[in-house]
Amino acid sequence: MGIESAFPQVLWTIGGVPIKDSVFFTWLIIAVLLVFSALAFRKFSAEKPATWQLAIEYGIEYVESLITDTIGRTLPQTVPYLATMLLYIGLANILGLFPAMRSPTRDINTTAALSIVSFISTQYYGAQHRGIKKQFLSVFEPVALMFPLNLISIISRVMSMALRLFGNVIAGEIVGLTIFSLVPVFVPLVFYLLSMITGLLQALVFTVLTIAFIADAMKLDE
Amino acid sequence: MQPELALQFANVTTIVVGAAIVLGTITAAIMEGRAVNRAFDNMARQPSVADRIRGLIFVTLALLESTAIYVLLICLILLFANPFAGAFGF
Repeated sequence: MGIESAFPQVLWTIGGVPIKDSVFFTWLIIAVLLVFSALAFRKFSAEKPATWQLAIEYGIEYVESLITDTIGRTLPQTVPYLATMLLYIGLANILGLFPAMRSPTRDINTTAALSIVSFISTQYYGAQHRGIKKQFLSVFEPVALMFPLNLISIISRVMSMALRLFGNVIAGEIVGLTIFSLVPVFVPLVFYLLSMITGLLQALVFTVLTIAFIADAMKLDE
Repeated sequence: MQPELALQFANVTTIVVGAAIVLGTITAAIMEGRAVNRAFDNMARQPSVADRIRGLIFVTLALLESTAIYVLLICLILLFANPFAGAFGF
């Protein structure tokens, strides 16, 4: 069991398309979140909130406080998307620490997809705020000469977000495998704690950076 | 001649990867230490903004850490998925 097992393996093929374990565990996370949402949202009430409702409202207020702390104003239309990203990435990073499960974010394809979706969301909210034509021409702002620099900044943002998330998760997995092969008994627990902390922290950093990029694309000061 | 070149390739790759990791982690650790040093000084001087600074510390540390992660990724590529390894028989 070498280092190669830290990288995603193909589980089975459906009609000639290979399904990697990262795809399978993404489906698992989607199923878990859907079931949880369906069960928890059935008994919402404003007068007598149940415990789950209070917990969910606390989570939503946390995301709104993130937005306010980062850019100084509230963007209520982005809260559902950002809460979903935070929940999914946090859960996906933690999933590898449970027995018989692996994190989907240790696949560069997953993190690249998340980063591209984040970029598309910045353009979407920017277009919602400023109009589609102005958003498409935003690469030429403030001067048409800035086009190469704007393009480079877009590419570097997408790449850095994808590589940051992937690098943190895969480094945690490889270090865990190496330590486990050396001292299998109690030392891996320390690295489990470290992986848990960095997994949640990277989910937070991804969300905060997405907030900053959305606010930048919306050009809120003009 | 061919085994000599393969050995040299393996040696040079290993030495470069070791040096790169050392430089990357030292730089990241020193700069994170300086950032946290200044943050702690200002938290002690103005306890009213301590909560805001505490929230920003974690995000800043993660962003500084990510540069070390980039170095780690390049070293992993050089070690395990080296595009030039095929020419030397690896």
